[in-house]
Amino acid sequence: MAEHKEEMRDITFRISRFNPQVDNKPYYDDYTIPVERGITVLRALNYIKEHVDATVSFRAFCQAGICGSCGMRINGISKLACTTQVWDELERCKVDNVIKVEPLRNMPLVKDLIVDMDPMVDKMKRYSNWVESVMPEEKMGEKEFLVAEEEFQEYDKATDCILCASCMSECSILRAHKDYVGPAVLLKSHRMNVDSRDGAHNRRIAELVKDHGVWDCTHCYRCQETCVKSIPIMDGIHGVREDALLSRGVKDTSGARHAEAFMEDIRKKGKLVEATLPIRTNGMGWTLKNLLPMAFKMILKRRTPPPPPLVKPAKGIKKFREEFQEMTEHVKRDKKGNK
Amino acid sequence: MKPFDIVVVGGGGAGLYAAMEAMKVNPSLNIAVLSKVYPNRSHTSAAQGGANAALANKAKDDTVDMHIFDTIKGSDYLADQDAVEILCSEAPKIIRELDNIGTPWSRMDDKTIAQRPFGGAGRPRCCYCADKTGHTILQSLYEQCLKKGVFFFNEYFVLNISTSGSKSRGLVAMNMRTGKVEAFPARTVILATGGYAKMYWNRSSNAAGNTGDGQAIAYRAGIPLKDMEFVQFHPTGLRKSGLLVTEGARGEGGYLVNSDGDRFMKNYAPEKMELGPRDLVSRSIETEILEGRGFDSPAGPYMHLDLTHLGADLVKSRLPQIREMSMYFEGVDPIDEPIPIRPTAHYSMGGIDTDNDGRTVMDGVYAAGEAACVSVHGANRLGGNSLLDILVFGRITGRTAAQEARQFEPDEIPSSEVSATEEELREYMRPSGHYERYGALREELGHTLAQNVGIFREKSKIEKGVEELAGLKERFEHVRVFDTSDVYNTNLMQVMELRNMLDLAQTVAAGALAREESRGSHTRTDFPKRDDEKWHKHTLCTWDNGTPKLGEKPVTMGKYELQERTY
Repeated sequence: MAEHKEEMRDITFRISRFNPQVDNKPYYDDYTIPVERGITVLRALNYIKEHVDATVSFRAFCQAGICGSCGMRINGISKLACTTQVWDELERCKVDNVIKVEPLRNMPLVKDLIVDMDPMVDKMKRYSNWVESVMPEEKMGEKEFLVAEEEFQEYDKATDCILCASCMSECSILRAHKDYVGPAVLLKSHRMNVDSRDGAHNRRIAELVKDHGVWDCTHCYRCQETCVKSIPIMDGIHGVREDALLSRGVKDTSGARHAEAFMEDIRKKGKLVEATLPIRTNGMGWTLKNLLPMAFKMILKRRTPPPPPLVKPAKGIKKFREEFQEMTEHVKRDKKGNK
Repeated sequence: MKPFDIVVVGGGGAGLYAAMEAMKVNPSLNIAVLSKVYPNRSHTSAAQGGANAALANKAKDDTVDMHIFDTIKGSDYLADQDAVEILCSEAPKIIRELDNIGTPWSRMDDKTIAQRPFGGAGRPRCCYCADKTGHTILQSLYEQCLKKGVFFFNEYFVLNISTSGSKSRGLVAMNMRTGKVEAFPARTVILATGGYAKMYWNRSSNAAGNTGDGQAIAYRAGIPLKDMEFVQFHPTGLRKSGLLVTEGARGEGGYLVNSDGDRFMKNYAPEKMELGPRDLVSRSIETEILEGRGFDSPAGPYMHLDLTHLGADLVKSRLPQIREMSMYFEGVDPIDEPIPIRPTAHYSMGGIDTDNDGRTVMDGVYAAGEAACVSVHGANRLGGNSLLDILVFGRITGRTAAQEARQFEPDEIPSSEVSATEEELREYMRPSGHYERYGALREELGHTLAQNVGIFREKSKIEKGVEELAGLKERFEHVRVFDTSDVYNTNLMQVMELRNMLDLAQTVAAGALAREESRGSHTRTDFPKRDDEKWHKHTLCTWDNGTPKLGEKPVTMGKYELQERTY
């Protein structure tokens, strides 16, 4: 059989470096190495560490995409180095044949490509990311729960999560506030909430609707787009919200009121009445105390939203209302069917 | 530091189960888990196939006794029969317990836990969560440990057991975040650090960190290792990377096909075909390759694992991870094309010698999981029994340690011991004229083991291996750590891991050279038959000033007499 030779190319890896003992801030080092087609980014990093610079530091363990250790940003997107082909990245390089490798965002940097995962673990603890079994401990092991296929389907995909934290790194809210619960922890919370073996739903939801909880998500979908296991993370986040609104009766939170006010506006006018949204969400007192300075600034810059009487219903509102009504009925029927 | 009651080393299935059980037995105990990775990264996560238990959900006539017999026969009669009885009778309870704490077992139409056929088993008794079983079990255990408030020292690399006479005082470990060497005084220590099959490096399915750290520190502290020569080669590793394609792929109906288009297993195991035990299937594939019926490629010869006849739906629902891996690492979609595979070093049957409760010969030191050798797997482990082993014996060992911890007086670890260890580490960073690169040594280690102490072994080859290992150890004296920083020094950690692998590789080779018979995974072409008269016994291996000294231990028999092993 003729020797089949894979294509070789010199490729530069622009790696973010940071050693807290000597550096004030991260910088980049370039490593140009010969790479064969079919090699993963992790294998390229291993090559650099073994043959060029032993001080380049990163985490790696299973090398098969299941342990979640080697999450890092490659050409600006958070993913696993062990399942990313160098050749696939070449198409995404800003500078030809230069692949940028950086640590995950939104977590404290430890060294080079290594970040601190403790904040994520702390959040898993805060939001009880475990099944609190309805079976008393002394009875465990005696018999199995019966789980129907439909229930299993509710959490099957979510249990694929390997906590690689790619979604946490891409999350725009986490970037704005490090205390935000974050997509991975929301997903895991929902996975527990829909499990009939769990008895901590209410407590978990009560925690999730507090500040920095489920209502802070702005539906940017970055988490879902980047999930290395293709988990529909937003379904989980929406699930927690629906749970909070409908089944658990936790309407007395600003997030829930915000969602209701939103719905109400859309139903009535087909668009938002922004001027009164903060009042309906957080009450008059809170709004005056927190938003008054901003309101003045908005007046100065002539950026105030129109007063409510001036918000005219959107074009085609009649047809829209009919469709809205239909959708609402549909969702209600679905809910009933699932119970 | 205040002495701990229990320090568990390793945060995989065995370690976490031990910690969870110990907390249950006595919540007032001061328990910590020390792991070189975040526990949810542990190699348990890579176990795909499942865990055996005679639940009789699928085959109503399955019994614990049948599971016991299959395991003993699979072990080529080297397993201790009392230990196997514990393993198999505890199995149904442990699977249900995991179900009770939230493990998402795949289900059958009647809502009970699903089971599938696995190699060497007389009935379909392997419980699974698609092909992510280990991952979901590990998550469940980690979640429960977080719930119970187990204290975790994440990213600590264990260096030594501190001993005084015949008793352990605790551990010395390096904090990866600071580079500081720290003492962990403890009444009891549970070693649950996983296997050592990564010493075969590129011909191994294991994670980069499966370097036998627990076995190595126990060995150097004078605790005997058992049956180290038995290393299981899994029949279906991916051609290029050695990464694993689960036995579940054959359990679901996959074929092994040679370059003549033949399902060649009919010549080796006519009844069980592809679902013969792993040692047999691996040898069959290698024989086909040696006799010229394999496929050739720059990455070496290989064989086909064909799933194309199973249909897209089954592959997608039951083997999604396998499909993903085949596409990532081989560029092959198993729905359309056969997967290129070759046997890969996968599992260490050998390990730290323990009794049925997890005790080692040293007071205060226990071991569980793949790091330990009870022995339930003997000369060959059955698929689906490794997860079971870490769960059952993780729990038993956690319980034993919890019950016995307060019997041991706590002892200080002298600070001189800590500073000596620190100095030893720093020695590797000193610039010197001549130096060795750890990467090259590691690769050569894997190569020499695969060549000389691999699937087919013979005297002259093993002797060559022994000689080369001695040479590698000598060269290791000159190995150089180039990263001199304190914070997260992976360069230093990998060198320490290499030291552990080199020490253990010598015990594997020594055992393989001595054992002049073929049994289970250990195949001597110069002694092709099992020799019960001379070799129906365990190999013990103790540290003798840097070289392995061999001893032996009888096998515990029970109601099953020695028989020829055919499938």
